[in-house]
Amino acid sequence: GEGRGPSRASNELVAYKNVNDVPFVRELVIQVDQKNEAVLLPIYGSMVPFHVSTVKSVTSHQDNRTCTIRIFFNVPGMPFSNDSKLNSQGAIYLKEITFRSKDPRHSSEVVQQIKTLRRQVASRESERAERAT
Amino acid sequence: MTDGHHFNNISLGGRGGGNPGQFKLYSGGLAWKKQGGGKIIEVDKADITSVTWMRIPKSYQLSVGTKEGLCYRFFGFREQDVSSLTNFIQKSTGITPEEKQLSVSGHNWGGIEINGNTLCFNVSSKEAFEISLADVSQSQMQGKTDVVLEFHVDDTTGANEKDSLMDLSFHVPTSNTQFIGDEHRT
Repeated sequence: GEGRGPSRASNELVAYKNVNDVPFVRELVIQVDQKNEAVLLPIYGSMVPFHVSTVKSVTSHQDNRTCTIRIFFNVPGMPFSNDSKLNSQGAIYLKEITFRSKDPRHSSEVVQQIKTLRRQVASRESERAERAT
Repeated sequence: MTDGHHFNNISLGGRGGGNPGQFKLYSGGLAWKKQGGGKIIEVDKADITSVTWMRIPKSYQLSVGTKEGLCYRFFGFREQDVSSLTNFIQKSTGITPEEKQLSVSGHNWGGIEINGNTLCFNVSSKEAFEISLADVSQSQMQGKTDVVLEFHVDDTTGANEKDSLMDLSFHVPTSNTQFIGDEHRT
């Protein structure tokens, strides 16, 4: 079951509580919702949210006019991954996803935004965990 | 005049998604026509195997599964359309539309459900996303626990999208009992 301690485990962080809270976007592009700490990814015509705490790392690679954006997610069994936080028995994890982008500027912007937000949330969560001990 | 229900602003979901068009549900089945011409989808009533409603941001989505294992998604319906269409579908096809919920928690762990050509990733029994296995160009194992799916990307699929999905991978821990693989485990 999910731990209910004084410190919230990172797997209790949710991007949105309700469908209506998800921003509606016309253009299907990778986006960052700073307020809700979410990364929105266009998968089969839908914008799929991921809380930034699920993101392990993000890389981008540019080749002529085509950019590749690769997002790695936290999964159990990795070095430094906190398996006790990823406790869902029998669960399957989305581990990695790659997009090809036609817009180099948008691509580097969004990668930077994800990195910054990830850092902010990670340091806040580790402070919170420290205070709790 | 034809029977049934007509809608002028219903989009076809899926890859490259969100093309607006006209949607028609009539006693013989359903049809969708892209605005300005082009793509046409027609599904005969006899070929419909499943119907699902889902609340999505700003509207409702209707998913229609067919005998061939395909799944069409239409969105742009309003709340009041749901009940009238549900009644019509029940009467004309005998199928009771199911309701599915969209996962918006943003978690990356859950379960996988495969129906026909459609792979659905569910988080807490709610749908996070769906992909069509018909578009997978290659799938391979990476190590003993990861499965990589690569997607066809060409100029038509990527024409109206800035960011196109190239590949994704799932991590299936050895503790998973749904997909135990074809290796004998000790």
